[in-house]
Amino acid sequence: MPDTVPMAKRRALRRKQGSRFDTPLGRAVLQSLAVLVFFALWEFGVRLGWISAFLVGAPSGIFAYAAKIIASGELISDTWYTFFEAILGFIIGTIFGSLLGLALWYSVFVARLVEPFIVAINSVPKIALAPIVVLWFGTGLISKVALSVSLTAIVALIAAYQAAKDADPDLQSLLVSMGADKHQVFFKAVVPSTLPSMIATFRINIGFGLVGAVVGEFISSQHGLGHMIYTASSLYDLNTVWVGLFTLMIMGFVLYYVIEIIERTILPWKQASTVQQVQV
Amino acid sequence: MQITPAQLSVRNVRKSFAGKAGDVCVLDDLSFDIKERDFVSIIGPSGCGKTTIFNIIAGLLEPDSGSLQFRGEEVESLRGRVGYMMQKDLLFPWRTVLGNVLLGLETRGVDRAEAEDKAREYLKDFGLAGFENAYPKTLSGGMRQRVALIRTLIMDPDILLLDEPFSALDYQTRLYLEGVLKDAVETYHKTVILVTHDIDEAVALSKRVVVLSGRPARVKIVHDIEIDAPSPIAARSDNRFSGYFHALCAELDIQTEKTS
Repeated sequence: MPDTVPMAKRRALRRKQGSRFDTPLGRAVLQSLAVLVFFALWEFGVRLGWISAFLVGAPSGIFAYAAKIIASGELISDTWYTFFEAILGFIIGTIFGSLLGLALWYSVFVARLVEPFIVAINSVPKIALAPIVVLWFGTGLISKVALSVSLTAIVALIAAYQAAKDADPDLQSLLVSMGADKHQVFFKAVVPSTLPSMIATFRINIGFGLVGAVVGEFISSQHGLGHMIYTASSLYDLNTVWVGLFTLMIMGFVLYYVIEIIERTILPWKQASTVQQVQV
Repeated sequence: MQITPAQLSVRNVRKSFAGKAGDVCVLDDLSFDIKERDFVSIIGPSGCGKTTIFNIIAGLLEPDSGSLQFRGEEVESLRGRVGYMMQKDLLFPWRTVLGNVLLGLETRGVDRAEAEDKAREYLKDFGLAGFENAYPKTLSGGMRQRVALIRTLIMDPDILLLDEPFSALDYQTRLYLEGVLKDAVETYHKTVILVTHDIDEAVALSKRVVVLSGRPARVKIVHDIEIDAPSPIAARSDNRFSGYFHALCAELDIQTEKTS
């Protein structure tokens, strides 16, 4: 049967689908509600004996422990430690990788020459390097940063190189016809057109930065959330493990939105398009 | 024929590209002259290499053989001295309207304040005052192409190379921009080479129309267009217009009457 719903009615339908909860406040209420229900079900499940508190912990215990170590300052210092490692690894790795990837635009010959090596390095699971990294850089801060760098640099390199290769050749031709030299083409056409995909890489790399820091702490460390999670889990102290995990989650969450703010500042010209979405 | 020295001479240019089935010869011994303040349209069948000619003049491609002469002197190419405008407006999306207009002056290293003053003046002349800080995405197709035209003119190029600049626009906008172009060319005393598929546009705008044969491209014939109309729209109602139009259609082997 053909679609014969009149336009006015269809519009009304659409409004109904979106409902009055489709506002920032409405969404926040629904989202918080979902979180509350989740913890409530968990807690009741544990109280009623449906799930084992020994294996999954219990929200009451998690909050109690969190409150305790927040008060003692332990959580803050561990969080700060892991945050510092992750962010340092992220910044060094992303900058180093991006610069190298962009630089490959300059010489097609060099780019083709090193491409298989990049692919080879990328195909090694970087986590497997963790034991050697600890051997080389010790059990302190540097080994975690090094691991984060190894994870983030290669991602940034490949993304930057690909984006530079994909830069619109017509824009470059236009500049050349205006008399621009290679550096001008690079800085005026290539670099700006890689920015959107660079920012997308930042998003991925924030996650990889945290992975590097936490895995480094798993292997050997005296501080940090990874250390906290690892030691607690070996003692079957699930509540502590959850405190660590939730803290990591919140950290990743906040960093994601920090990147979003950076994106809005660096790419004002992108904003107009992200709001629109096709109505189906 | 009056004898005016050529501003640009294209001499015996050949160019072929490597294709799957061997080399494809696109330009074969192509020669033509462009006079000072000329307005020449180049028309020809699709894919006959019109864009290749432009790329050679603009210095984006090197010819296999042949030469270019600019005001009697042999030159490699006119890179940096031409204003190249294409079908796509090629505005830089991350630059504002003002930033886009400044692009050429920046590459030339013109003083910033001086360049900005000039850019604002041009934008005002072309009715784009107030849009300096808008991003291209927020503009209509006609406005975007007008910005591209300003960006081309502000560099004060010796020759404008227009590669189907209006073909992506709707007919009304195209008519309007043809007028803007014609006025601008007369105001700034520019030489124009226009590649177009639109015979109607070629006749309405040009002083001369060069008809190319199919690949490999050779000059088939050059028509002088003697319509002295104040605007491209007025040119279309000139009584010689349809004569030129049909003559060019016939050159291009377009069937204009039912085959009996």
